Amino acid sequence: MTLLDPGMDLTLRPMRYPHFFDRFRDAIKNTWTVEEVDLHTDLADLARLSAAERHLVSRLVAFFATGDTIVANNLVLNLYHHINSPEGRLYLSRQLFEEAVHVQFYLNLLDTYVTDDAERSAAFAAVENIPSIARKAEFCFRWIDSLADLRELRDKDDRRAFLLNLICFAACIEGLFFYGAFAYVYFLRSRGLLHGLASGTNWVFRDESMHMAFAFDVVETVRAEEPDLFDAGLREQVRQMLAEAVECEVQFAADLLDQGVSGMSLPDMRLYLQHVADRRLATLGIAPMYGSRNPFAFMELQDVQELSNFFERRVSAYQVGVSGTVTFDDDF
Amino acid sequence: MMRVRKRDGDLEPVDVNKIVKAVERWGGDLADVDPLRVATKTISGLYDGATTAELDKLSIQTAAELIGEEPQYSRLAARLLAAYVDKEVRGQGVASFSQAIRHAHQQGLIGDDTAGFVARHARKLDDAVDPDGDLRFEYFGLRTVADRYLLRHPSSRLVVETPQYWLLRVACGLSTTPGEAIGFYRLMSSLAYLPSSPTLFNSGTVHTQMSSCFLVDSPRDELDSIYERYHQVAKLSKFSGGIGISWSRVRGRGALIRGTNGKSNGIVPFLKTLDAGVAAVNQGGRRKGAACVYLEPWHPDVEEFLELRDNTGEDARRTHNLNLANWIPDEFMRRVEADADWSLVDPSDAPSLPDLFGAEFDEAYRAAEKHAVKTVKARDLYGRMMRTLAQTGNGWMTFKDRANALSNQTGEPGNTIHLSNLCTEILEVNSDDETAVCNLGSINLGAHVTAGGVDWEKLRGTVRTAVLFLDRVIDVNYYPSPQAAASNPRWRPVGLGLMGLQDACFTLRLPFDSPGARELSTRVQEEIFLTALETSAGLAERFGPHPAFAETRAARGELHPDLWGAPTEGPRWDALRARVAATGLRNSLLIAIAPTATIASIAGCYECIEPQVSNLFKRETMSGEFLQVNTHLVGELKGRGLWTAAIREQIKRAEGSVQAVAELPADLRELYRTAWELPQRALIDLAAARAPYIDQSQSLNLFLSTPTIGKLSSMYLYAWQAGLKTTYYLRSRPATRIQQATVPVLTVPDAVACSLENPESCEACQ
Repeated sequence: MTLLDPGMDLTLRPMRYPHFFDRFRDAIKNTWTVEEVDLHTDLADLARLSAAERHLVSRLVAFFATGDTIVANNLVLNLYHHINSPEGRLYLSRQLFEEAVHVQFYLNLLDTYVTDDAERSAAFAAVENIPSIARKAEFCFRWIDSLADLRELRDKDDRRAFLLNLICFAACIEGLFFYGAFAYVYFLRSRGLLHGLASGTNWVFRDESMHMAFAFDVVETVRAEEPDLFDAGLREQVRQMLAEAVECEVQFAADLLDQGVSGMSLPDMRLYLQHVADRRLATLGIAPMYGSRNPFAFMELQDVQELSNFFERRVSAYQVGVSGTVTFDDDF
Repeated sequence: MMRVRKRDGDLEPVDVNKIVKAVERWGGDLADVDPLRVATKTISGLYDGATTAELDKLSIQTAAELIGEEPQYSRLAARLLAAYVDKEVRGQGVASFSQAIRHAHQQGLIGDDTAGFVARHARKLDDAVDPDGDLRFEYFGLRTVADRYLLRHPSSRLVVETPQYWLLRVACGLSTTPGEAIGFYRLMSSLAYLPSSPTLFNSGTVHTQMSSCFLVDSPRDELDSIYERYHQVAKLSKFSGGIGISWSRVRGRGALIRGTNGKSNGIVPFLKTLDAGVAAVNQGGRRKGAACVYLEPWHPDVEEFLELRDNTGEDARRTHNLNLANWIPDEFMRRVEADADWSLVDPSDAPSLPDLFGAEFDEAYRAAEKHAVKTVKARDLYGRMMRTLAQTGNGWMTFKDRANALSNQTGEPGNTIHLSNLCTEILEVNSDDETAVCNLGSINLGAHVTAGGVDWEKLRGTVRTAVLFLDRVIDVNYYPSPQAAASNPRWRPVGLGLMGLQDACFTLRLPFDSPGARELSTRVQEEIFLTALETSAGLAERFGPHPAFAETRAARGELHPDLWGAPTEGPRWDALRARVAATGLRNSLLIAIAPTATIASIAGCYECIEPQVSNLFKRETMSGEFLQVNTHLVGELKGRGLWTAAIREQIKRAEGSVQAVAELPADLRELYRTAWELPQRALIDLAAARAPYIDQSQSLNLFLSTPTIGKLSSMYLYAWQAGLKTTYYLRSRPATRIQQATVPVLTVPDAVACSLENPESCEACQ
């Protein structure tokens, strides 16, 4: 039996994919709640943003307002249905919970940031009335719908279609759209702005990294089980899909940076997105398309250990679900 | 074509050479700085039509972003920032220190006394400003100063003082003669010593609240007292003080309230109110209020108390802004060891317990156990404490009996230490109508050490100046509450601390857990304490002992090391004893090792007595994010030709560890271990060895990447057995982290294998 064989496997022992179960347990240790994120200094920051920065922030939160819901929908409609492993589905259940927390976080964020009712409704309807967001949403919907007629993955083509959907959500949506969005948040934080948004986003980012890693783990598992699925055609489709995602995100960036934001130029943003896209390809064992280097030093900051002054920030370094019993002779 | 908008509104093309020249002007002596690189990178981040001010700011930011590759860019960024600030100040028609003070006084920022003092001595003070002073700052330090410490114009929000004016203003606020002011200014400007943030914020201003810490006794077990405490905490918090407050006297859930014949809801709803109150106080926009609640583990609500910081459960019973600490009697630890029962007792049934320690506490507690509200296994409760530490870092373990038995202030019955402070380094007696206060400052040990060893004479000189000015704060200080005003002049405690121990160890090439490091740390602490005592004895000879001196152990000839049974050998100690016997001490307490998070950043050294957390990490503060690189290590690697992109990536991927850098000799890998890689037992041993020369306590963080209840329970039992009075945060690491976006993807073996099966994708390797 392979991972994508149709069915509803219920047997956890013997466990076929213990690495999925490990990811489930690791994810639980990262539990956080929206109530822990303190947005109150953000309001003061919003008041002192330039018009150009305010435009950036309002577009960005409008994207966040629907982004995670789209991912959650695909998870329920497609991933959970076809990944036939109870431990894999455990992880997906956990991921679904996390997506819900993210939705709640951004809901709370918008309710806090946008006090005018009409403006708030407009933000939540961004997928319809803001063209740069609508185009990204259209890309997502097209891929969600790509599996609409597939109740079961019977042949190689079905499975390739599924892999494309999975890779799309991991590499293009969570792995590129969200990574683009995070870059704006971290850009602002590196300038000392919107710490509340950044600290919540930090936790979202940590979760999204896990989601992506799980999805790639699924890809690798399928690849080991059915190597012939990964033919030249599939690789070419992945590249085209990523290229389209990069263009979607670049036109979004053009909108966000429209009024000129010092320290974040459109050419640099394009390089960054190409760099991220190349990384996704590398993870999938596919040759890079762009060869671009990351131009954003503030993104390098996200790759090193953080140390917060507890007077100023809530520390995100702790784990829940710590185990063990009281003893006096453990090594420390 | 890229254009900038000048201050007069005209657009002009961006000129790379102009930026290059500006960078060369400030970075000419920095060998490894490439001005062209800064200029081109700055321009690539610019948009057409940006203002010249944006261009200036962006070039600072751009220089700062290169620190990870070359630490010298930190100096460059700092100098560009200093020039920017300088321009802003000069732009308001300010050409000298005395003019800056006059200008700020007119805006209602500077107090009349300081304004008058500066006006009287304008020439001398103006001449004292060190034009090269700003060259000593690293970028992160100066950014912190510029964003949060320099006074700003009330309406334009422009800074009205340069960094050097700021330090001289702080010195003037505490001085009676220009000579004093200049001496103190020079010490601070050299970054060999810095007072704590409240002093740096407020000295010389209209609100001279300069104390860091307030220790508020538990409210009495009645509503009026509880609400009085909220009011007091708000007032203390407003001007930058950190609050420790005990809650041990307030009855627990289910206890009878006679006035209404109802049952109490316990302490949690009251702490929820305190939580909201603390969050509401904004300390001048510089930071949020912060408080730590102390509870003794016999309190009936202790289990709910330990859940206050959990991130699940009913939010009405969670306090996200409060820190939590356990104030633990030895009897509890003994029962944990013996696996015995532990009784939870309502304070309304045993009101004396918070005021007792040692044998008297043990006796009263055993008697009170007869009316226990509940009995638990001591180990179960201890396990819950460990779980709270692991999951939140909070629930600090502080030891009531050690704190009291080894204090100079508890010489007479009735004087009890009821809690520690927000950072667990202050231990002072207090009561319902006396709130303990402490002023802090820390010596930068790194600035007193060369490869040849410690400059002891310089260290003594620093201590003498520091104690003089810490003592001066007591007289000049504004006390936000009458309870604080009642306590501080009587006891006159100060807290002289230490930072940069790690810098000193690197300079002397002593691994943090080596006998040499322990010897250094202990010897330095003894020298600081002895010199501080000598200085305080000298002040007592001039101004008399502090009023409560007769109540102290020192008055009976017992100095703090004696309480530990530690040696105090040599003629200096003997001479000191004679002086104390003759004329007493000006200060009941002198030493406390505070965490120094912010002032260590300003001084550009490692925090207090801590090992480095990582060779490469970022700091997140209100000012933004800052990459911190271990410059000692970089120097070492450069000398070996190893400071390459590949090694930098390797260190980054290992989250700042150099253990996998095989090119580095084993002894250097040992030297440059991080806090996560050191045995924590060594940190506790170091702390215990220096403790006899610390008459208050130390903010001792402990570090475990993946804590388990077993490791924690072993570690904290050991800390108690070692005789520590307090411990501080448990630092931990997330279970997983964000995916690194800027280090190369490590290709999984399967993916490589796959490319062999499909030769065309071998382009991946090209």
